[in-house]
Amino acid sequence: MIEVDRVSKRFGHLTAVDDVSFFVEKGEVYGLLGENGAGKTTTMRMMATILRPTSGDIRIRGYSVLSEPVEVRRRIGILFGGDVGLYSRLTARENIAYFGKLYGLADDALEKRVEQLGEMLHMSEFMDRRVGGFSRGMRQKVAIARTLVHDPDVILLDEPTTGLDVTAANMFRRMVAHLQEEGKTILFSSHNMGEIERLCNRIAIMHKGRLSYAGTIDALRDQVKMNDLDDIFMTMVEGGGR
Amino acid sequence: MGTNIVWTVFRKELTDLLRDRKTLIGTFVIPMVVIPFVFFLLGTSYNNVEKEARSYVPISISGQSVLVDYLKQTPGVKLLNSPNPEADLQQGKLRAIISIPDGFDQQVKAGKPVKLAVAYDSTNQKSVYARSIIEEAVKKYSSEIVAKRLRQAGLSEQAIKPIETVYDNTASKDRQAGGMLAGIIPLMLVLSLASGGIAAATDLVAGEKERGTLEALLTAPIAANQLLTAKLLAVMVMSCISATASLLSLSFVFRMGPLTKAEAAFSFSFLEPGSLVVLAGTILLLAAMFAGLELTLSTIAKSFKEGQTYMTGVVVLAMIPSYMMMPLNPVDIPEWYYVLPVFSGVALCKEVFYGAIDPWHVIVGLGTSLLYVAGILALSARLFRREGAVIKG
Repeated sequence: MIEVDRVSKRFGHLTAVDDVSFFVEKGEVYGLLGENGAGKTTTMRMMATILRPTSGDIRIRGYSVLSEPVEVRRRIGILFGGDVGLYSRLTARENIAYFGKLYGLADDALEKRVEQLGEMLHMSEFMDRRVGGFSRGMRQKVAIARTLVHDPDVILLDEPTTGLDVTAANMFRRMVAHLQEEGKTILFSSHNMGEIERLCNRIAIMHKGRLSYAGTIDALRDQVKMNDLDDIFMTMVEGGGR
Repeated sequence: MGTNIVWTVFRKELTDLLRDRKTLIGTFVIPMVVIPFVFFLLGTSYNNVEKEARSYVPISISGQSVLVDYLKQTPGVKLLNSPNPEADLQQGKLRAIISIPDGFDQQVKAGKPVKLAVAYDSTNQKSVYARSIIEEAVKKYSSEIVAKRLRQAGLSEQAIKPIETVYDNTASKDRQAGGMLAGIIPLMLVLSLASGGIAAATDLVAGEKERGTLEALLTAPIAANQLLTAKLLAVMVMSCISATASLLSLSFVFRMGPLTKAEAAFSFSFLEPGSLVVLAGTILLLAAMFAGLELTLSTIAKSFKEGQTYMTGVVVLAMIPSYMMMPLNPVDIPEWYYVLPVFSGVALCKEVFYGAIDPWHVIVGLGTSLLYVAGILALSARLFRREGAVIKG
C-alpha cells in the first residue's frame, strides 16, 4: 500500500532523508520512530507530495508521488502534529466541509459525512462554534475529522498525540484502532515508544535521516536481546548514528 | 472541477476575511469613517480659524489719520493700546501694528505719496488674515481718494481703467467639478487599492503559512495555481471594496463637507459610459497588479510580521506616482508615464475625472498595465509553486 523506495531528500548541503526504504501493508498500522529531526516529518511530507524526493520514489496504492501527485493526494489523509492548522474564524463544521469540497465531495454526501465524523469524534456540541476558542484536544478532533473527511485509504499521522492530555491521547489511540478495523492503512510517526508498541506490530526507526531498522517489534527484541522498547530505541540510535 | 475549486476557495477566503476584525477595519472603517472624519476635522478647523481670525482682530495703531475711522468701521477690528506692541505681536495678543507717519492726511491731501508701515507675523495665520483686512480697508480708503482726485480733475473713474478685461472660464461646471476631483480622487483611489488588499494578502499566504493551514491545504488534490487564483481574486475584491468605500466617503465629504465650493458643485455627471469603462479597466488592472505584488511579498515572507513589513513598500509604490501627479493637469503629464506601472493608472484616472480621455493613452496605459499584471502574476505563481514555499519557517 505504501512503498518507500530508496528515498533521499537533500536541502542544499543538508541531507534530511538518506536512502530510506520500507513497505506498509494494506490495513496495517505501521510505526515510524525517531527523535526530533530524524527525518520522519520530511518523509511524510514527501508522501503527501508537499516535498519532492531528491532521489528514489514513494508509491501510494501504486501511484508515484513523482509522476501522479494528484492521484496520491486523493488517496491520503495527513494529520500534522503540534499546532494543527485550522481556520480559527471558521466553525468546526466549516473547516471540515471546506476540505470535503476540495476533495470533490457532493453537498449531500458531504453533509452526511460531516455529521458522521462529528458523532464518531464526539464533536456534536461544538460543531457550529468557531475554532478560535477551542482547547488543544478539541482542535485536534477537528483536524482528525478534516483528515478523514474524504474517507482516505491511507492515513499519515505525524506525531498526532503531541501536546494532547492523557484523555485526549487515549481517545486518539482508540480511534486509530477503530480505523484499523475499517481496513485503513496507517503510518503513525512518534517518538513515544510505549504508544508505538500499543498500536503497531511493525516499525521503522529513523535516526539522522537514515533508516536504522525496519521490521516487527518482536524481531527487533530478538535482535538486540532487550525487552524495554526505550532501551532498544536508545541502543538502535546509538548504534546506527553517524 | 477547476472553476469549482477556485470558487470554493474564493468563497471560503471571503467568509474568513469578512470575519476578521483587522481586515474589516483596514478595508471599511478607515476609508468609510476615518477619511471623512479627517476631512471634516481639517475643513472645520480651517474654517473656524478664519472665522475666529476675522471676528476678533486686535491691532495697535500709532499716529493719526482718517484711515483709523475706516479701520474702526471694519467688522471685528479692535484697536488696543499696548505699551510694547512688538512683544504683543510676537505673543499673538496683537495681530498687526500700524504706524501712521506724522502729517499723513496732509500729505495725502497735498497729493504727495505717503508710506504706511504695517507689521505682522507671517507665521501666525490669524496675523496673515489681519494683514488682508487692513489691506482691504486701505484699498477702500485709497479708492475714495482716487475717485475724489479724478472728480477734481474732471475725469471719470473709467479714465484710469482704459482696458476692461473679461475672463471667461471655458471649463464647464462638470469639468470644474472633475478638475477638483482629479486632484484628490486618483490619489485616494490608488492608495486605497494598494492598502485595501494588504491585510487580506498578508493573512492569506504568510498568515496561513504561519498557522499551518497552507500546508494542510496543499495536501488536497488541488493545483497551487487554482489556490493562488482564488486568493488573488479575494485580495482584488477586498482592494476594490476598499476603493469603493473611499470613493463613497469622499463623495460624501465633497457633497456635504466644509471643503465644498459653491462655484464647482460636486457631481459625477461628467462620467459617461466610455469613461466609466476606462475607469473600471484601470481600477481592475491596478487591483490585480497590487494583489499580485502583495501575494508575491506574502509568499516570500517567512512570517506574518515579516509580510506586514514588506507591505509598507507597496503603499510607498502607490504614493510616489499619486503625489507626483496630484497637481498636474492631464495635458502636462509626460507621455512616458503611460508606460510605467501605477503611473499609467493614476494618469488615466486623472483623464477620466478631467473628462479628457485620449484613446491612445488608454490603449498604451491599459496594454502595458496588462503586461505588468501578467508579469507579476507569473512571478507570484512561480514563487508559490516552489518547493517548501508553503511550509512554516
